[in-house]
Amino acid sequence: MKHLPKHLRPRYRYLWVRIEAWPDADVGRRALQRAVWAEARGLFGDAGSAAIDPTVVQFAFEDGAGTAAVRVRRGEVDRGRAALACVAALDGDPVGIRIQGVSGTIHAGEERYMRARPEGGSEKTVVFGGVERAAVVRSDRVDVRTDGAFAGATDLDLGR
Amino acid sequence: MYEAVHARPDGESTVARMAATAADCGFGGIVVRNHGGERAEYDADAIAERYGVDVVDGVEIRAADTSRAGGYLGSHRPERTVVLVHGGDPAINRFAVENARVDVLAHPMAGDGDVNHVIAEAAAEHGVALEVDLSPVLRASGGRRARAIADLRKLRELIDHAGAPYVVSADARSHLQVRAPRELVAVGEVVGFDREAIEAGMAEWKRIAARNRERLAPDYVEPGVWRAGSGDAGAEDGNAGTREEEP
Repeated sequence: MKHLPKHLRPRYRYLWVRIEAWPDADVGRRALQRAVWAEARGLFGDAGSAAIDPTVVQFAFEDGAGTAAVRVRRGEVDRGRAALACVAALDGDPVGIRIQGVSGTIHAGEERYMRARPEGGSEKTVVFGGVERAAVVRSDRVDVRTDGAFAGATDLDLGR
Repeated sequence: MYEAVHARPDGESTVARMAATAADCGFGGIVVRNHGGERAEYDADAIAERYGVDVVDGVEIRAADTSRAGGYLGSHRPERTVVLVHGGDPAINRFAVENARVDVLAHPMAGDGDVNHVIAEAAAEHGVALEVDLSPVLRASGGRRARAIADLRKLRELIDHAGAPYVVSADARSHLQVRAPRELVAVGEVVGFDREAIEAGMAEWKRIAARNRERLAPDYVEPGVWRAGSGDAGAEDGNAGTREEEP
């Protein structure tokens, strides 16, 4: 179909998101897309989710940390924000969603919010709770492997 | 604005990790609200210095009946800055709001719990804050979430009507469950709270902590009154004139 003339095209805003998860989480773009739609629909119904029209336009995720950009219709930023905030898990993996900011274009948002990408994690052995354990360390944040799960910690918790 | 969190061993993340995440999200402080038997160990000063987040020592009293709740209240109150009661049971809800030594009635609508005008008015009379717990909106879905939203709408109307104090929280049990103040405002709007109301509820934790720290200070007698020779504990508040000399 022919593109709409510029003045008739929908106007959008872009929500720039940081995603946090445990290091073994396997999270994909489609999972985020599904989750945002489901939350928008759950909170605002079919009509509301159509009005917000949340669409994942950028996505990167590795070793428990990632970034995404979610496009919503202009004027629907608050409802889009609420839907994103309610994304608690992706494909069963719990996630932390941190909205860094909102931009009017992808280009402006990339410049402003995606300059510093989350650094990769490294496997290390740490002492946590008096026991040596494997951990994934990303700057001062430490995800310690405990029996069958992870514990979220920082370097302040290590060595004791 | 403050958030109230469950840290290890009551949650999945340490107090330090919770504080680091809260700082990223723009909170000024966290209240550690571990249940009574699952106390967290941490160095509040080191965490505050590193992350710039005030760490408030709290406890959430969880008891099967009101007499045990009363016992726990007596033992925790003298040493904890913020005392919450794990609500969600009609008798416990009632016990909490009728007891001025309780700071916050946590998640009063959870489980079999309910709030009516009597509970809300008792909370207002005794200065016990009712918790607006956004966690089921953030983390549940379908019918459970719909019921939770309906309950929160009811709670809001009762709080408004009675003029009861209230706090707002996402009740995070891991750093992944922490959501920033702006996000909680957006979610609060879904439930019928306006921006100012949610922000006031997040700020209320801070106010409670500040008030109780003052009360826990060794020279405190009653609001605006300190024992003489105690330094300038209240002078910056302009209360110096109301100080009493001890006989």
